[in-house]
Amino acid sequence: MAICTGCSLLCEDIEATIKDGNVTAVKNLCRKGNGHYQALKTDRTKPMIDGKEVALDAAVSKAVEILKNSKNPLLCGWSNMTMEAQAAGILLARKLGATICDTSPTCQEDLMERIMDGKIPTCTLDDVRNFADTSVFWGSDPSNSHPRHLSRFSYYPRGEKRQKSYEEERICVTVDVRKSATATLCSNYYFRQPPGGDAEFAEAVLAVLDGKIPKVGDKKRMIELGTLLRKTEYGVIFPGPGMLLALQGKMDLFEKLVAKLNEITKFKVLPMPEHCNTRGYYQLMREQTGFINGVSLRGDAPAHGPEQRLAAAAKSCDAVLAVGSDPLAELPLATARALTRANVPLIAIDPHRSLTSDAAKVVIPSAMSGLEAGGTALRMDGVKIAFEPLIKPGKPDLLSDEQILARIMEAI
Amino acid sequence: MVSAMELYMLLPKTNCKKCGLPTCMAFAVGLLGREKKVDECLPLIEEKKYEAKLKKLREVMAPMENASETGLIIHPEKCFGCGNCVVACPVNVAAEPTRCGAGLGPQGEKVILRVEDGVVKCNNLKECRRFGPNKILCNACTATCPSKAIEFV
Amino acid sequence: MESTVESTVAIVTFRDIFQDEAGKKSKFADEFRTLAAQLLLDKQDMAKLGWKDGQKVMVKNDVGSVVVAARTSGDDPHPGLVWMTASPWSNQLLAEDYCAGEKPWAGITATLSPTEESVTQISEILQRMRA
Repeated sequence: MAICTGCSLLCEDIEATIKDGNVTAVKNLCRKGNGHYQALKTDRTKPMIDGKEVALDAAVSKAVEILKNSKNPLLCGWSNMTMEAQAAGILLARKLGATICDTSPTCQEDLMERIMDGKIPTCTLDDVRNFADTSVFWGSDPSNSHPRHLSRFSYYPRGEKRQKSYEEERICVTVDVRKSATATLCSNYYFRQPPGGDAEFAEAVLAVLDGKIPKVGDKKRMIELGTLLRKTEYGVIFPGPGMLLALQGKMDLFEKLVAKLNEITKFKVLPMPEHCNTRGYYQLMREQTGFINGVSLRGDAPAHGPEQRLAAAAKSCDAVLAVGSDPLAELPLATARALTRANVPLIAIDPHRSLTSDAAKVVIPSAMSGLEAGGTALRMDGVKIAFEPLIKPGKPDLLSDEQILARIMEAI
Repeated sequence: MVSAMELYMLLPKTNCKKCGLPTCMAFAVGLLGREKKVDECLPLIEEKKYEAKLKKLREVMAPMENASETGLIIHPEKCFGCGNCVVACPVNVAAEPTRCGAGLGPQGEKVILRVEDGVVKCNNLKECRRFGPNKILCNACTATCPSKAIEFV
Repeated sequence: MESTVESTVAIVTFRDIFQDEAGKKSKFADEFRTLAAQLLLDKQDMAKLGWKDGQKVMVKNDVGSVVVAARTSGDDPHPGLVWMTASPWSNQLLAEDYCAGEKPWAGITATLSPTEESVTQISEILQRMRA
């Protein structure tokens, strides 16, 4: 059985047929995972300096030279790397006195911190499958972002206490601005609301839980929702980017709502990070620096504040090492522009040609985590998944992120 | 899904009985139930004045040609590969309770639905509960699909 | 019907499996651009603007601008709200402090106007970053 590192579900039941070192057929991969596997053979990078192909050693040496000469380097990306590679990256950052940022939005960090601190109760996806009778998709659309979420865990499968599953024992609720694919599966428990309306929705739910008349929404339906939540034995809320954006700066309200629900029954919250190992990155960062993201290792103690957020760090850095994601494709224009300033050398370590690799002074090709390189990663629920590589990389000298970072570290 | 009335409108409406049925409406119902084929309406095939109707009728009937005997049709270009149908299908679950029943991909050959190369494929359709003398109107696969990639004609 | 009407809307971004699949294989292929550079409107808004499916639209705000193809969303009614997948195209319109927790979020405000220009290429987006 092989693993898929296409999203943070880290599905482990993948069957791949391999002929002559190539994957020729796969079973159980969703469309997104299948695209990920097909990417083994598309747009693969070559070592480059200033747009010209060079030998790998030359590219690595140039990267070392750039980093040695920088006073304020930024290491960004991170979320698709194995934990071993992330650990190597943090060591490198310490040696360089660099700032470390991933590309996920700040609003996701707030939720993650509260969960990791224990302020908001959480559970595993296996708990969801075994116990959850109400799954709430709030601003999230797993049918598109994590396609096997509903079939493996949150709605359709049978579980220890949910043998009758979606037919009789599970209910799905979607709260979203648009009628997403997931919303269409939740039939009469779809609550549509205006963008930014999530705070009012949270207040309305608090009201119905208190037996009061809600201020917004279809009052009858909100009261029905209140009844459903009260009858729930084990509820799980899956907040997505839509909700996190709308509730940025208002997460105390969400925490209050979850606490209220837990006075009545059991209600857990599971985050929905996009990339395969965002959770691993946050956990490692917390263990090693005390903060989950946006940290400068320049001084004696790790510094964490507005200056270390990616938007600011991108403007103040004098060199960038991007590894483990494609920052230029994911960031707002102004931050992308800061990362591509003319006098700031950009090094991209990437298995694929990306916006970041196209803009980079130095490109170092790397193996795809999980498919060509082994290691461990944390699933969206924090469960550690270990994997061996599925195949050997097409090129014999193709190194993993971990190996490349170790090489750079050695030379510095 | 096309209706018997829509099919009737594309027939000669003469009730000539050459197809063996008493009325064109009965033939339309027969087409829908897949007991009759378009080519059994001889006037439609032989008479030039029905050329346009014949062309349209064949177009409308085409998706059903590809559907299986249970009327199941898959549109792979719409499929998310999410596995909802694989896990919801009662035949799949009965065949592999610790795999499909628990949300995992199947390993054996008795299942009807499985995801291959990113999209759903069907097999062993004679096991489908919509087929055979004791057939029931099971709609587990179509009701759980996020994109209408799997449907019954 | 005149299709020169300009319109102010709030854009909400979402994830689309087909775009993600294409993006994993290549961010530079036509398939990715076709799936990502789209704007989904409410059916009635499309009718009011007199736009046909596929109409090229210039989307502009004080962050930047981008040309995408307009389509109907299929989940109306949502007047004044449009959907765009989260992509390098939508990022051209996203303020850098969109997630700093200081301003309430109500989507990305932008104006839409019909255009004869073709859909913005990914190479153009990259150029704007480096300019």
